[in-house]
Amino acid sequence: MKRIAITGMGIVSPSGIDERKFWANISHGRSAVKKIERFDASKYPSRIAGQVHELDAYSNVSSRLLKKIDVFSHMALVASQIAIQDAKIDMEKENLKRAGIFAGNAIGGWLYAETELRDMYLEGREGVSPFMASAWFPAAPQGQISINYKIKGYSKTIVSDRASALMAIAYGAKNLNDGKNDFILAGGMEAPVSPYGLLCCNTSGVLTQRNDTPETAYRPFDKTRDGMAVAEGAGILILETEERAKKRGAPINGYIIGYGTTTDGVDRIEPAEDGAELSRAITMALADAGLEPNQIDYICADGAGTQIGDISETRGIKKALGAYAKKIPVSAPKSVFGNMLGACGAVDVAATILAMEHSMVPPTINLNTPDPDCDLDYCPNKAQSKEIKNALVINRGRGGINSVLALQRGR
Amino acid sequence: MSLEVKVKEVFKDVLDIGPDEIKENEKLDVCLGIDSTEMVEITVGLKKAFNLDIPNNGFKKTQTFNEIVEFIRSKEAQ
Repeated sequence: MKRIAITGMGIVSPSGIDERKFWANISHGRSAVKKIERFDASKYPSRIAGQVHELDAYSNVSSRLLKKIDVFSHMALVASQIAIQDAKIDMEKENLKRAGIFAGNAIGGWLYAETELRDMYLEGREGVSPFMASAWFPAAPQGQISINYKIKGYSKTIVSDRASALMAIAYGAKNLNDGKNDFILAGGMEAPVSPYGLLCCNTSGVLTQRNDTPETAYRPFDKTRDGMAVAEGAGILILETEERAKKRGAPINGYIIGYGTTTDGVDRIEPAEDGAELSRAITMALADAGLEPNQIDYICADGAGTQIGDISETRGIKKALGAYAKKIPVSAPKSVFGNMLGACGAVDVAATILAMEHSMVPPTINLNTPDPDCDLDYCPNKAQSKEIKNALVINRGRGGINSVLALQRGR
Repeated sequence: MSLEVKVKEVFKDVLDIGPDEIKENEKLDVCLGIDSTEMVEITVGLKKAFNLDIPNNGFKKTQTFNEIVEFIRSKEAQ
C-alpha cells in the first residue's frame, strides 16, 4: 500500500490524557490498573480496571450534550479534539465532504443503556429516555464526532472485538489509498467499566481475578498470568496521504505502511493454539508494506494475558518471522493501563509511534516468571533503548480475529 | 406557579438552559437548536408534568414555546 501519514494523536487513557504524561507512565511501567470504586463491584470475579480520570478537565462538551451521550462518545470527542489540534487542522478551512471517521468499538455505550433499562423496569416504557436511541449503539461516537465537526465524508464503524480500533485505522488508511477521503479521524473508544459492561466482560472468562494486587494483576507472557485487566479509554489518530501532509507542512508522527487480517475459525472465545492464522496475518502485513521480516524493529503485542492467547501469539510471531523473531523486542504496553478492548488498537499505535519518536521500547510490566512457551524478548519491566524504523502492532479479538498493522517512523 | 413557568421548568431540566434563553414566539429548533430526541424528551417531561395524554412525538421542534403553552392550556380547560 501507499504509505499513509499519521499527523495527529489524541489519547484518552488511564495512564493519562496528555501525550507526554501517557508516554512517561508507560515507558516507566507505572501501572494504572486500580480497584473499581465508582460502583459496588465487590461481587464481580474481576473488580479492577484501568479507569480514565480528569476527562472533564480536557473536555469542552456542554452539559446539555453530555445528557444525550454515553461516556464512550464523550471520550471519543475529547480524543478527536486533541488529535485535530495536534495535527494543526483548521476544520473551518477543510472540505468536510472529503473528511471521514473510522471508529472501532466492541461493546457500545452500556452505562447509558443499563441506566435506561433499569428505568424501564422501574418506571415502565415512559421511563426510558429518548436519548437512549442515539446514545448506546456502537456507531454513536462516529455520529457524534461527525455532528460536532460537520464531517460528511465516507465513514464507518468497525465492530470486531479487541481488533476493532486497529481494523478501523487500517480501513481508514486503505480508504485514503483509494482516494475516497482527504483526511480521516481513525481510532476507537470503549467504556466497559459500568455495572453491566463489566459483568459481560467477566463472563467471557478472560479477566484476571488478582483483585488484591491490581497493579501487578495483568501479566502478559508471565507463567503466573490469569487474564487481562479491562480498561476504558479512546484513541483518535489523524490520517492523511503523505502528499497532502507534506504539502500543508503537517507534523508527520509516523506512517501506516501495511495491513493484514485473518480469522482462526475454531472457537467463539479463544484463538487457535497454533497461531497459524496470526502468522499469516503478519506475513500479509509485511507483504503489503513491502518489508522482509528482518526489517521489523519492534512488535507491539496483543498481550492478552491468557495462557492460550500469549502462547499462540508467540507461536504466530515465530512462525512468521522465523529465527529473527528472537532478535527483536515484543512488548505489551497495555499491561500498564489495561486492555481497552475495541479501543486498544488506537492506543497501541500511539504507543508505538511514541516508541519510535523516543527510540525506546515501552516495557511489558509484571513479567517476572518467564513461561517456557513464551520465549521471545518481551522487554520485561524496564524500557529498552532501541532505534525503531519499522514496527508491527498486533490486536486479536474473540472469535479468532487477527489484525496486524505495519508502521514506519515519521519525523 | 404559572403554566408558562412550569413549562419552562421542563425545558430547563431537559436542555440545561436558563428561562431567558427561550424566545416564546420563535420556532424551538431555531431559537434553541432543539433536535428530534430532545423534543421527545421535552414531550415526555410535559406529559408527566401536566398529565397529558398525547404521543411522544406529539410536539414538534418546529413549534414555538407559546404554541405548546396554548396547547396545554386548552387541554387543561377541557
